[in-house]
Amino acid sequence: MDIKELQELIERERIAEEKVRKAKEEAQAILKNAREKAESILQSVDSDQNWEMVRQAKKEEIARKKAEVEEEHKQKISLVDKTAREKFERAVAYVTKRTLRVEI
Amino acid sequence: MSLQELWTEIERNAEEEVSRILENARREAQKVVAEASAKADAIRDEGTKALTRELDAQERAELAIARMDRNGEFLRLKSEWVNRVFEEAGKRIAEMAENNRSEYHELLSNLTLEGITKTNGNKFTVEANSRDKKTIEHALRTIAKRAGKIKNGKVVLKTETLQTTTLGGVVVSTETKAQYFNNLLEARLSAATRNLGGEAYKMLFGTGETNE
Repeated sequence: MDIKELQELIERERIAEEKVRKAKEEAQAILKNAREKAESILQSVDSDQNWEMVRQAKKEEIARKKAEVEEEHKQKISLVDKTAREKFERAVAYVTKRTLRVEI
Repeated sequence: MSLQELWTEIERNAEEEVSRILENARREAQKVVAEASAKADAIRDEGTKALTRELDAQERAELAIARMDRNGEFLRLKSEWVNRVFEEAGKRIAEMAENNRSEYHELLSNLTLEGITKTNGNKFTVEANSRDKKTIEHALRTIAKRAGKIKNGKVVLKTETLQTTTLGGVVVSTETKAQYFNNLLEARLSAATRNLGGEAYKMLFGTGETNE
């Protein structure tokens, strides 16, 4: 092996090492990207739109059920008013009579 | 080994090393992302469960409060109706007293007799407002006679004008005023309100005073 060949060999060796070095850099970049993506995935959990939708849906459900309670209440009130109105006179007559009833 | 073979070997080794490094990096990168996704899914699942629990509890609490408020209002309404019954009864009794007809005169006699019956002794003072005092004085002999039968002996009655304003009725007291029986209409209405509330409630609503 003469000098020129040796130099050529060293050059080839250097080029090969350079390729490996670049591959290592590329690998570092791949890992860095992956870590950034992982972080982004975890951060996205905190700002999950789905949770906000769940909250909104429950809020609407509660409002609907409250409206049902309110409607049911109105019906009960109406029924109680009607019943009381119908029986009012009888109750007044009874109370009046009992108030004036004497025990001798 | 020839020089050419040596070059080829160097390049092959380098290519292999590059492939191995990149392959490892890509595998590691996939693993990192997959782990993060799995962790995110787990956090999301747990968060969703926690949120569902929180929202369900909030729903139960809000609906319970809404029902309690309505039940309170419902009971207030019923109570108002019962109060109206006693107010109306009071008005009718007051009108009856103001009209001062025979029916009321009979009532005054009976109120007086009840007072005498419930009080010890034979000598009584009957106090009433000036209107009712006149009525009682007209019927005093009859009342005394009926009282005598009840007490099994002679009963002596005297009348006095009550100094306080009253709808009507009487206060019967012993001669010494040591004992008295308040049979004023206000006292009777007050007692009726205390004692007949439950019955009035049942008459109006057909049930006991239960929370609905």
